[in-house]
Amino acid sequence: MSRPLPHCAHAGRLAARAPSIARALSLATLLVSPVVAPRTARAQTLEDAELLQPRQAAVTVMYGHDAWDQYWEGSLKRSNGNIGTITTSSITSTVGYGVNKRLTLFASLPYVSTEASQGVLHGMEGRQDFTLMAKYRVANPLIAGRARLKLLAVGAAGIPTSDYTPDFLPMSIGLHSKSLSARGAAHLQDRTGWFIDGFAERKWRANVTLDRSSYYTNGQWIESNEVAMPDVAVYRATVGWQREAWCIPVGLTSQRTLGGGDIRRQDMPFVSNRMNFTAAHAELMYYLPRLAGLRLDLGAAHTLSGRNVGQSTTIMTGLTYAFHL
Amino acid sequence: MRSISERVSRALAAAPLRTRHLLPLAVIAGVVGLASCDKTITVPEESLPAIAATNVDANAGTWRMLVLTSPDQVVVPDPAPITSAAYQAELTSAKTAQAIMSDAQRAAVQYWTGAGVLRWNQIERELVARFNLPPAPRADGSYPLPDAENPFGDPNFPFANPPYASRAYSYVSVAQYEALKAAWYYKYKFNRPAPSRTDAGIKSAIPASTLPSYPSEDAVLSGVTAEMLKLMFPAAIDEITLKAAQERDAALLSGRATSSDIAAGLALGKAVATLVINRARADGMGAAAGNAAMWKSLADAATAKGEIAWLSQESPARPPMLMNFGSVKAWTMTPAEVTSLEPAPPPSTSSAQMKADLAEVKQTTDNLTREQLAIALKWNDGAGTSTPPGHWNAIASTYVRDAKMSEVRAARVYALLNMAMHDVAVGCWDTKMKNFNPRPAQLDPTIKTTIGLPNFPSYPSGHSTFSGAAATVLGTIFPQGAASFDAMADEAGISRLYGGIHYRSDIVSGKAHGKRIGAWVVNYLSTDGAN
Repeated sequence: MSRPLPHCAHAGRLAARAPSIARALSLATLLVSPVVAPRTARAQTLEDAELLQPRQAAVTVMYGHDAWDQYWEGSLKRSNGNIGTITTSSITSTVGYGVNKRLTLFASLPYVSTEASQGVLHGMEGRQDFTLMAKYRVANPLIAGRARLKLLAVGAAGIPTSDYTPDFLPMSIGLHSKSLSARGAAHLQDRTGWFIDGFAERKWRANVTLDRSSYYTNGQWIESNEVAMPDVAVYRATVGWQREAWCIPVGLTSQRTLGGGDIRRQDMPFVSNRMNFTAAHAELMYYLPRLAGLRLDLGAAHTLSGRNVGQSTTIMTGLTYAFHL
Repeated sequence: MRSISERVSRALAAAPLRTRHLLPLAVIAGVVGLASCDKTITVPEESLPAIAATNVDANAGTWRMLVLTSPDQVVVPDPAPITSAAYQAELTSAKTAQAIMSDAQRAAVQYWTGAGVLRWNQIERELVARFNLPPAPRADGSYPLPDAENPFGDPNFPFANPPYASRAYSYVSVAQYEALKAAWYYKYKFNRPAPSRTDAGIKSAIPASTLPSYPSEDAVLSGVTAEMLKLMFPAAIDEITLKAAQERDAALLSGRATSSDIAAGLALGKAVATLVINRARADGMGAAAGNAAMWKSLADAATAKGEIAWLSQESPARPPMLMNFGSVKAWTMTPAEVTSLEPAPPPSTSSAQMKADLAEVKQTTDNLTREQLAIALKWNDGAGTSTPPGHWNAIASTYVRDAKMSEVRAARVYALLNMAMHDVAVGCWDTKMKNFNPRPAQLDPTIKTTIGLPNFPSYPSGHSTFSGAAATVLGTIFPQGAASFDAMADEAGISRLYGGIHYRSDIVSGKAHGKRIGAWVVNYLSTDGAN
């Protein structure tokens, strides 16, 4: 789940000092992966409301570290001595390009690795899912002469880039499902530097294929290697403040899987489980004073409640470089 | 779901947007429309076709009995003549029932027609998968035992692990086979024709067979299977009884049986089940879980031989799965015969061969290819699955279906297959506990597995023994598939090396053990009158 750092892009003084990053968009992604399945499945989501300037490009490299030692087996919170702490590390590379002042495209790809601190389960690693996203600014009115409202329509497509298995949760690096997403986002910022924003997203997920010919989930025995993946809704709300080279957003993200079964008592997680969570997140962004175009991103997130996911704590750090072509 | 994108498009058209908005928004709308994709899953096994048996096996009443002393051990009363007023009234009511059949009943007829044995096997695989979960540890680190007297508790009863499942499949299959042979005996004793042959007004759901209808084979199956499944999976009693009633209903509605055919069949099926359940209650399963003292003595025995004893790699440590299953009664052999077919002990834990075997596991798991991982996952058959015996039942089902067998011959296939897998499980578990050999991850903690590590000693590989036995039995019954079954058995075996949970020596010995027992069971039934 990503928690990018975008809100700070309009800093006027930054713009004066370092125009190339003034509206740079940080694509830091990879926050939270609190899913029993490493939530890096969504790591590439580009969550901010920022757009790049026409013909401006931005490159972000983000490192994420996510760990949990408690998880929700259905609604039962527990630990498990056979896995101990599950740690997911990831490096996500993201490239953005401003097509025009309304439309920005992004491409993002994480490399993910997992490890269990106890027990015998083998860690997994590999390239995860490629995401292509289009953000389009629908409107940008000035409200009451002092606050700027921005409304965005966002579409994204995700596709796995390696043949990793989704059938070895919680060690699998992702869910290996092709997806398409649609999102409506709003961002309101006033002249003093305070802002609020949020979005609602629907993600459609394609069936996944397993290496086995049958499976049991959600009270059903299915004699097929195909698994129907329930769709997902994601909601996010952020408040923040930005001044000069600093930007500090904090907020909540909630994911609701629209179907799927619970992990049964003492069972392994399954790819189509109903993975829900609410996580709190905070970021700190800092535009490096002497290096035009470069921004440092730090973030942290913690899962407050969940179902069929790990109670993960995530930290991430990244660098964004923006420049004009 | 075009409607979503249509709605989006209409909203776009209605909004006062400048034209340059339209292209990107249309792209997003298109994404939305495309995304609402088809989630249908192709499940070939769920639609078993109506089977018109190519051979009704009219002599099946003479085939060798396994538990019953004779096919007429359970007495079935003489039916009323087809000319009697009582039977004519049954025909009339069957016609009426057909005339007012609901869509749900029509679907049930489709679900059951011609494939009762196949269908129940599929239902049982589902039950095994549902109940194949190990108990969760208590807060004090101990593990509760599943309790047949409290099947809905935590843990559920049963934990349908591979040995439990092998026994359950075998009891259900043997009981079905016994009951159907008895049914065939009476069918040809009384020779009451199928209702649709007596009364043209009764429609037959499949081409009318010459198989006599009294007692109804569908009702026999419903009665015997429901009783056996309720014993094995008591927490599923509601679904089991509903399925059984639905099968009897379908027998009437499909024009294959009247109410007296069904009543006689149900009574016969339940009576046969009672006889088989008497055997089950005395086969030693009640003591199969073992106890702490036995666990300790097994470990001590291995240590006394100078070997490294198996340790549970679970946290908290869990007793080895059904440590006394090796004492459960086999179907086709005495305890001495079980022992005589068991493999020789494994390489010593201090031997050079064990060192080489261990190094191979390490080398394999550290350099696992995606193809090897796929094989490990394909044959994982771990918690929450129908187990290796269930996997082989599923493999058999395709062949049984395609062979268009009579119900009684289909039951014979599953009885042979599942007796062999039960008997090999007994021998395998006995060998595992006698040797109490450690898993690779115990001897080398840097070995990590890509499937769950089974919580019982390593030697020999259960997958390999099950698969060797199953491939041998199925290859004898379906010679056209023999090479394929053998290749599957090899793949199932080597999958355990790829998964990091077995040495090659476990796999080689296990498959050979399985083949010996498979051949034994084939031989045991080679003169049963069905060939």
